Amino acid sequence: MKFIILATRSVRSAITALAFVALPAWGQAAAPAAAPDLRGIWQAQNTANANLESAHVIVDPPDGKIPYQPGALATRKQNFENRATADPETKCFQPGVPRATYLATPFQIFQNDGAVYIVYQDVHAYRIIYLDSSSHNQGLPYAMGDSRGRWEGNTLVADVTSFSDATWLDGAGNYHSGDLHVVERYTRTDQDTLMYEATIEDPAVFTRPWKIKMPLRLQTGPGAQILEDECAEDERGVRHHVLPFRAAK
Amino acid sequence: MLACGQESATFHPPRLANGHPDFEGVWRNGSVVAAFNVEGQAAGDNGPDGPSVIADQPDGKLPYLPAAREQAKDNATHRERDPVGHCHMHGVPRSLVPPFPIVIVQDSDYLALLSETEHSVRIIPLDGRPHLKNYWSWARDSRGRWEGDTLLVDVTGLNGNTWLDQAGNFVDQNEHVLERFTMTAPDAILYEARVDDPTVYSRPWTLRVPLRRQPKGTELIEYDCIEGERDEVHYPGNSKR
Repeated sequence: MKFIILATRSVRSAITALAFVALPAWGQAAAPAAAPDLRGIWQAQNTANANLESAHVIVDPPDGKIPYQPGALATRKQNFENRATADPETKCFQPGVPRATYLATPFQIFQNDGAVYIVYQDVHAYRIIYLDSSSHNQGLPYAMGDSRGRWEGNTLVADVTSFSDATWLDGAGNYHSGDLHVVERYTRTDQDTLMYEATIEDPAVFTRPWKIKMPLRLQTGPGAQILEDECAEDERGVRHHVLPFRAAK
Repeated sequence: MLACGQESATFHPPRLANGHPDFEGVWRNGSVVAAFNVEGQAAGDNGPDGPSVIADQPDGKLPYLPAAREQAKDNATHRERDPVGHCHMHGVPRSLVPPFPIVIVQDSDYLALLSETEHSVRIIPLDGRPHLKNYWSWARDSRGRWEGDTLLVDVTGLNGNTWLDQAGNFVDQNEHVLERFTMTAPDAILYEARVDDPTVYSRPWTLRVPLRRQPKGTELIEYDCIEGERDEVHYPGNSKR
């Protein structure tokens, strides 16, 4: 019989129940009079998803190498060797942060005074970056992290914590632990460009914080649309991405 | 629930700067039974009791063609087939039905529905662009337009792999849906979906549920559905149960 692949429902139900108990009041966020407009469909134009170190996006440290602790470097090497079957992204796990930003597929930003919403094409993952000065959730491990943001001049600064250890940073086996902490900066430098910076900190894996920086390009025209990226299991129970198109009748 | 319709004639919704009704917020279907059986059910092992949410059939029953009714009955005894049980998105109209919160964010060009459950996403363009061709999806291809203060969403592009509820009621790849979102009170949206699927049903039918605004401060939590189901034997109808 086919093996059904699901999260444990009882755990999900318990976690879901938490959503309905007391939560901090969400006041009307006092957005700046003219918050920058980050809306649009964006996509990276680089090879960071394949390998962060060879894509020339690491701006700190200056040598462009991820500052792994010695033992962690061995894990990265093992991940690399097993990447064809071990990369969580190819198995339809949600892509994690910051990797979701530089996948080979686009994402779309929506926003209002209370939050910035990022919908990734990849496995229809999304994040809500709350702008209401609320605090991070307490200890629920999320593939996509828990994001709280603020405007700093023209830049959206998102503080992201509460990660699970189920995602990688790229397809080359670069990875993190559940102690990951990411601070992202999104700055629209012109109509078509969103500059993305992320400072990545994980005391269980890296010797020091490090930083990536890359431009994201606005996608326009009739073909610019977030398409469905759903997953289906094959006869061996392995999940694969499914393209939402079929041959013309 | 029906009171929503009575209020709608006089209710003036909050509006965005563009003049259209402001649906933004966190919402949740108020009919819990609908997630379990859209035809309603008595209390039992498959969830709570409650009335049918099929609004325009005299008996509240789906107008199945005979063979399709047999298929639905068979599904009901094999709920392990439920596509949502296999981590798939709910499709339409089921995406509005589960008792999980849904965020609506909108502007002049789009209305997006972000569901907590299965982290389902529907991005509905409002700019009049045509449907995608040869689209074959779980979440559907949606196109919205305003008719007065009601948002109409035309939905196509189905792959025929989704159910309507946990009881095995279903649609196939010929489903075509016209949804109507109407705010009837500050904290209420009436959701109606007219479903036409001539290879499953003898005539179109309409599902109607009330969406209720969730308290300020309601945040969605991450929902993940990937690996590790260890409870499959307890699915009703499973041969190993």
